Amino acid sequence: MSTATETAEREKEAFARVELARHPNRPRALQVIAGGFDGWVELRGDRLFGDDHAVVGGPAWLDERPVMVIGQEKGTDPMTRALHNFGMPHPEGYRKAIRLMRQAERFGMPVICLVDTPAAHAGVGAEERGQAWAIADSLLCMLGLRVPTVSVILSEGGSGGALALALADRVLALENAVYTVAPPETCAAILYRDAGQRARAAAALRPGVDTAHDVGLVDELVPEPEPGAHAHPDVVVAMLRGAIVRHLDALRDVPIDDLLQARAARYRAAGG
Amino acid sequence: MDVVTAVTARRQAPERRITAPGPDMRPVAPAGTVACPSCGRRSVADRFRAELNVCSQCGHHARVPAVERIAQLADPRSAQLLDGGIGDRDPLEFDDGTPYPAAVARARERAGVDEVFSVARAEVGGVPAVLASMDFAFLGGSLGSVAGEMFTRGCELAVAEQRALVAVCTSGGARMQEGIASLAQMARCSVGVAAVAGAKLPYLAVLGDPCFGGVSASFAAQADIILAEPGARIGFAGGRVIEQAAHEYLPDGFQTAEFLLAHGMVDMVVARQRLRPTISSLLKLYMA
Ligand SMILES: [Zn+2]
Repeated sequence: MSTATETAEREKEAFARVELARHPNRPRALQVIAGGFDGWVELRGDRLFGDDHAVVGGPAWLDERPVMVIGQEKGTDPMTRALHNFGMPHPEGYRKAIRLMRQAERFGMPVICLVDTPAAHAGVGAEERGQAWAIADSLLCMLGLRVPTVSVILSEGGSGGALALALADRVLALENAVYTVAPPETCAAILYRDAGQRARAAAALRPGVDTAHDVGLVDELVPEPEPGAHAHPDVVVAMLRGAIVRHLDALRDVPIDDLLQARAARYRAAGG
Repeated sequence: MDVVTAVTARRQAPERRITAPGPDMRPVAPAGTVACPSCGRRSVADRFRAELNVCSQCGHHARVPAVERIAQLADPRSAQLLDGGIGDRDPLEFDDGTPYPAAVARARERAGVDEVFSVARAEVGGVPAVLASMDFAFLGGSLGSVAGEMFTRGCELAVAEQRALVAVCTSGGARMQEGIASLAQMARCSVGVAAVAGAKLPYLAVLGDPCFGGVSASFAAQADIILAEPGARIGFAGGRVIEQAAHEYLPDGFQTAEFLLAHGMVDMVVARQRLRPTISSLLKLYMA
């Protein structure tokens, strides 16, 4: 049995980990796209309702080959954070992602997804337009996509809103990122009916990406130079680029039917 | 286990003081009666159960335990429950005062089922099907690894035996106590659904009250045909979360089955008495 002091210490530590993952200076999706890819062209809209700025996407060059890059963007200052809705996508964001993934499949482009969201947006409009349906479709889309796929958990992977873009052949995660079933605030609201107990929820949930690695949702943790990616965003972007290229090179050699079978087997077993 | 035996065993379970038809039916005096959670009308428990837990006064659709659901939908004596036999998991060794295994044991005792999902091989209107049914009384129907595994095995059974898949979904969403492993179940269940779709077998979902979060955002929304029960609350985020997070005014009837029908998210709203014939005619069309 741990003492009250030890418990408090453990909770503080767990929540500090969440706060580090939420550090405003960590590299965002658009920074990774700008620094890690060449000639990215942003394509917009879901062709159904609108254009969601929490998800950005379009084709780019990576190592002289075309790829489709899709990212959840949180923004970097008060104005862009509001514009990108703090990285919380509406259904239109997932449907734009699905449109671009299908397009990539037709043109044989590997898909790279950069995941960074506290959760999918919770709101009246999102519900009216089928948030659950959009996420569910994106899961099926990623499972069946006939091109190699790589996802990267940049900082915060929260809920089905993150998973919708993370059912890839290879999932990488920056080592200080968190990947959780829901943000600690929401977990606390559900478990204790009090969002204020987020540190307690964080400690119980083991939010670090190492836990996601243990249950098979993440393949590789990309190390961050001390004290973390927020202090060296350019170095981290370069390391990420190297890791993505290395995994894509390996995936390109696998016949696509074998890749799909392995993908299904992997997510069939995920979560124990 | 035979479903009739299972339902009978359940009704005679000693911890259930009366033959309560559903977890949200409060036992009230005199013994053997239940009160409608919506209008308060009292009915004899057995009669209420025979009316599929639908209130004869206000039409409220009260919750139905998972195994009883299977008995309601399957042709008489056709249902065969699958053995779970899946060991409990505690991936996070979750303990925030109540250790997770203790919470599971208590839920088991209260709900009278081993886990959220009961899965049966059955026929509906003579069409071979797999019925996968969720029990809200078991930890809010939350999607843990055992539930995910059961649903996926149901999908694989449908594929192996060329059966249609019918899932009755009622859940608050993810099982927080399993953390990220619970999130992974959305992926696992999607693999199951993809296998059923790949085998060109129909998948029909019935959404009961409530259906939210990781369940609505995966296999509940992935069905070929989606039926919803009248008044069922269905969505991704709960209304309370939306009010608190976005400070948004919630429109009348927000997230009800009827609201979702109007917004194009479900195919039809079907009263419980019409569920079996509706499912049966649909399965005949899709399995012809
Ligand atoms: Zn009533």
